[in-house]
Amino acid sequence: MSSILSVQNLNKSFGNKHVLHDVSFDLKKGHIVGLVGPNGAGKSTLMKTMLGLFNYDSGSIKIAGETVTPQKHESLSKVGALIEYPGIYPFLTGWDHLQLFADGDHQLIHIQKIISQLNMDSYIKRKARGYSLGMKQKLGIALALVNFPELVILDEPMNGLDPQATKDLRDLIITESQRGTTFLISSHILSELQRLAQDLLIIDEGSIVQQTTMHELLASQGKQTIMLMTSNDHKARQLLKKAKFEMTPDPRVEVIAKDDNTMPEILRLLVEGGVDILDVQRLEGNLESSLLEVLKQSRIKKRLAEEEAE
Amino acid sequence: MWTLVRQESFKLTRKVSTWISTGFLVGVEILFAFLSRIYPQTFVPANMFESLYFSRPIIIFYMIAATATIITMEFQYGTMKQVLYRRYSRGQILVSKWLAVFFYTLYWYVMSTGIALLLKAMLFHHTLSIHQGAGDGMSIFTRGLAISAASLVSLWLLLSVVFLLANLFRNSAAAVSVGIIGYFAAYIVTQLLTILIQKWDWAKWNPVTMTLYPSMMARPGYYQSLLNMQGWQMLLGNFIYIAIFLGIGYYVFNKRNV
Repeated sequence: MSSILSVQNLNKSFGNKHVLHDVSFDLKKGHIVGLVGPNGAGKSTLMKTMLGLFNYDSGSIKIAGETVTPQKHESLSKVGALIEYPGIYPFLTGWDHLQLFADGDHQLIHIQKIISQLNMDSYIKRKARGYSLGMKQKLGIALALVNFPELVILDEPMNGLDPQATKDLRDLIITESQRGTTFLISSHILSELQRLAQDLLIIDEGSIVQQTTMHELLASQGKQTIMLMTSNDHKARQLLKKAKFEMTPDPRVEVIAKDDNTMPEILRLLVEGGVDILDVQRLEGNLESSLLEVLKQSRIKKRLAEEEAE
Repeated sequence: MWTLVRQESFKLTRKVSTWISTGFLVGVEILFAFLSRIYPQTFVPANMFESLYFSRPIIIFYMIAATATIITMEFQYGTMKQVLYRRYSRGQILVSKWLAVFFYTLYWYVMSTGIALLLKAMLFHHTLSIHQGAGDGMSIFTRGLAISAASLVSLWLLLSVVFLLANLFRNSAAAVSVGIIGYFAAYIVTQLLTILIQKWDWAKWNPVTMTLYPSMMARPGYYQSLLNMQGWQMLLGNFIYIAIFLGIGYYVFNKRNV
C-alpha cells in the first residue's frame, strides 16, 4: 500500500532549542493513525511543520510524493487540517466559512453533505460569534473535511464535543477512512483514540519513540485475549488446545489473540466442532497504560545511552 | 490567485463595518454638499467638489484601518493557520491581500467620486459646471481626478508601511498608529523638510516628502519650488518606496512562524 505522507529525518529547531530529532515515518493510505505523546513532546510542532507553517532545518516532508516547505506546498490541496483550535471569523456564519474554504467542483453538495454528517443544520446560518465551544470545534472539523481531502490532520478533534457529537465524528472518520482518506489524529483522549486508530506514532522529546499498530502495542504491553462463553466449555478448551491456540490459565475459555485473524479462526473451529457460542468478548490492554510503559522504557533506554556516552 | 482575492473581498463584504463606513462616508459627502449650498462663501462649491466633499481624509483613515486588520485579524481570530495551510504559497496569500486592499481603495475613490457627481448634479445643477476652469489648464473635474489619483498613490505609500507593520506585529494598534501619524507627519514637518531640502537637495528623496504628492497636485507651482521636485519625480519616488516597503513586508511574511 503506497504512502500518502512521508517524513524523513526531519529536524527542527527554535533558536538553540532542537525540538524535532530525525523524525521519520510514513502514513499508509486509508489508515487512521494516532499521534500520541506527553505535553511538549513535539506533536503540534510536527503537525505545523508538515503543513508548511514552520521552516525546518533538514530532512524532507512529502505529501503524495511532492515536497512541502513553507514556500512551496501545492500538495496541501490534498490535505485538510484542524490544528490546536478552530480559527473562526466571528462576523461570518458557519455556512460562509464553508463557502469561503470550499474548493473545486460540486462545492454546494460537499458543504451540504458535511453539514448533515456533523449535524450542524440548526445553527449553520447563524453568525459564528454566538457559537459554543463545541459548535466552533465542529465547524473547524467541517472546514478540514469540506474538500474531502486525501489526508486529514486533526489536533485534539474531540475537544469540547458532547457524546453525540463525538460519536458523529467517530462515525464520519471511520466512513471516510474506509473510502481511502488517511487520518493523522493527535489526542489526549486515549480511550477515544483506542477506538479509532489502527496505527500509532509515539513521540517523546521530539523523537519518534515507536511506530506501531494499535494491536501490536496493546498486545506487546499486555495480553490481548478473547473470552468465550460456550455451550460446552470443556469441549471448547480441548478443541482449541488441539488446534494449538494459546490459552490463559483462566478456568473460562480465554484465548490469547496473536493477530486480527485469531477471532474468526476460533469461531470457525468451535462452530465446526459442534460447540455453540453464547457470547464473545475481546479483552484488550489499555492504551493509556501501554503508552506510559513505552514512554518509561524509552526514557530509561535514552538515559542509559547517555550514561554510556559519558 | 483570483480565488484568493475573491475570498478576501468576500470577508470584507461580510463585515458590518464596511457598510456602516460606506453609509457614514455618503452622509459626510451629503452634509458638506448641503453646507456648501447653504454657505457658499465659507464652503466654496468648486473647492468642495474638488475635495469630493471632504471624503479623501476619511477614505485614508478607513484604508489604514482596513489594511492593518486584513492581516492582524487573521492572528486575532486564529485563522492565519487555516489561511496558510492550503495549496497557495505565502506569497500568493499576501499578494491577494494587497490586491483586495487595492480594489477596496478603488471602491472608495470611485464611490465617493460618483456620489460627488450626483450631489453636484442635484444641488448645483445650474450654479456649478464640472468643466469650470481650475487653473493650470484643468477643469475642476480633471483637477479633482488628478488629486484623487495622487492621493491614491501617496495613500498606498502609507499602506505599504501599514502592511509591513501589520506583518511584524500581531496587533493592529501599531500599524494603525503609524499609518495615522504618517498621514499627519508630512504636514507637521513640511517646514523642517523645506529647510533640509534647501540645504541638502538629496534630502527631498525621503519617504515623508513623497506623501505630499496630493498637495503638489493641488498647488503645483507652490510645492515644486518649495520641495525642489517635479510631479513625475514624486510619482516615481512613491512607486519606489511602495515597492521597497511591500518587498520587506513580503520577505517578513514568508519567513515568520505562525
